[in-house]
Amino acid sequence: MKTDAISLSTVKKTFVAKHAKVEAVKGINLQIAQGQIVALLGPNGAGKTTTVDMILGLTQPSAGTVQVLGQSPSQAISSGQVSAVLQTGGLLRDLTVQETVKVIGTMHGRADRVREVMERTGLTKIAKRRVGKCSGGEQQRIKFALALLPDPDVLILDEPTAGMDVMARRDFWQTMRAEATGGRTIIFATHYLEEAQAFAERTVLMSQGRIVADGATEELRHLINGRSISATFSSEADAQQALGFDESIVLTEQQGLRYHFQCTDSDQFALALLQQYRGQDIEISSPSLEDAFIQLTKDAS
Amino acid sequence: MMATYIQVEFARHFRDGYNLVFALLLPAAMYILFGNIPSYTESDLGAGNVKFYLMISMAAYGAAVSTVSIAGTVATETMQGWGRQIAITKMPPAVFVGSKMIVAATVAGVSAAIVFALGALTGATVNESWIWGVSYLIILIGAMVFACYGIGVGMAFKSESALGLATGLMVFFAFFGNVFMPLEGTMLDIARFTPMFGYVALARYPLLKDIPEGTEMAPDPMWMMTTNLVLWAMIFAVFAVLATRRAKARQ
Repeated sequence: MKTDAISLSTVKKTFVAKHAKVEAVKGINLQIAQGQIVALLGPNGAGKTTTVDMILGLTQPSAGTVQVLGQSPSQAISSGQVSAVLQTGGLLRDLTVQETVKVIGTMHGRADRVREVMERTGLTKIAKRRVGKCSGGEQQRIKFALALLPDPDVLILDEPTAGMDVMARRDFWQTMRAEATGGRTIIFATHYLEEAQAFAERTVLMSQGRIVADGATEELRHLINGRSISATFSSEADAQQALGFDESIVLTEQQGLRYHFQCTDSDQFALALLQQYRGQDIEISSPSLEDAFIQLTKDAS
Repeated sequence: MMATYIQVEFARHFRDGYNLVFALLLPAAMYILFGNIPSYTESDLGAGNVKFYLMISMAAYGAAVSTVSIAGTVATETMQGWGRQIAITKMPPAVFVGSKMIVAATVAGVSAAIVFALGALTGATVNESWIWGVSYLIILIGAMVFACYGIGVGMAFKSESALGLATGLMVFFAFFGNVFMPLEGTMLDIARFTPMFGYVALARYPLLKDIPEGTEMAPDPMWMMTTNLVLWAMIFAVFAVLATRRAKARQ
């Protein structure tokens, strides 16, 4: 079996602020296999950035162990096997784009990749521009380029699309898709549900320093039980009968003879609605990741 | 690795000429002003003349200010997250600090060299030529003490205007450190405790060493100059470490 790309066991991080202790990460276990694309999803203050910092060795955990490809974070960094797009800052405003990529490339010992990476991330056109004059989206692209320089096996992105408009965000994920080949492990922290939904095969949901859910992104949506289903009945009596189909049925909304339910086994219930209860205009919808998210974070607190 | 970084650092500081003008040209201008206009500057002093004395003073001031302004950029860079960016590359932090020191020392060296060159051209003289080299070296090495001061102020206040304040305060230190003009009486007694006093006194020592004790302009005892420099070096180093730690803990 291959070593895990990332392995966190009972990792805790406590910051000592002026008068209080802040538990940013309250003991998390996380194994990520090589080649997986994982979203670390959670609201601000969930502990995502602290977790990322510990994986990169920028912060030492207060307890527990962090391993990257079976080594310590600092070993993985110095061998160039892991790299990252950091969330805030990380660029010098008065350097040009080209200087920035060149300098960091040299620091990685990969000056040979500078030209290629700049082309692939679309920076060649703005090579001579000063970083401070670049837009938010362009700065994120520069940081992305820096992360690609060591040609890493594990790529970590902390809110990579922060400050980008919709177009820039779409372009970014397109470039990202091209880089997600060849067995590269990708972990990205985000609070955009659509990004997790569109890009990650697995989603780890964090809230208040804990992992509240972890699974295939598709599965996670099923995590809050069941589906919503709605139908229009021809009589009140049919509707009342439908409510007694099984104990999972909950009436969520009613507009005249239009009834909205929640249920676990939507297939069977839909069949019964059509055949037994003479329901019409049946609509089945799965809850959005957002619904799952709200429910799960509510459960955790 | 280091060479590329140093090269880019220089390119950067030259582009942003504002800081460098102050570091390189102001001391030179002050030397021209104070060293050449008054009539007494041709008079003999110690092993040389008054011009030589003023040349050392201004060169020492320029080297220290250059060091502060370059070292202080470490703090503004940290604020921009550059330190974190570097921390996730192969480059060891020591190379980063080392590169900064080299850049700071180079700028300080150039700043002092300009003043020395102007001195040589305008009649600063000394009768033992080794004094040129030794004074220059003392200026350069002593200036490094102020690197910690620049880093400390930058980290403590976390803003670019703080750096302006740090270099501005250097004028104050220089005045009360007996750098710009010879102080007397109570002022001189206070001066002995200020950060630039030991530094500039040591730089002047080769010139003034033969003036007998008790006469005017006689050098202070060696222990007093070195104690001042060493103590302030330690104070600035502790300040830089504490300020950096505090700044990092809050990130």
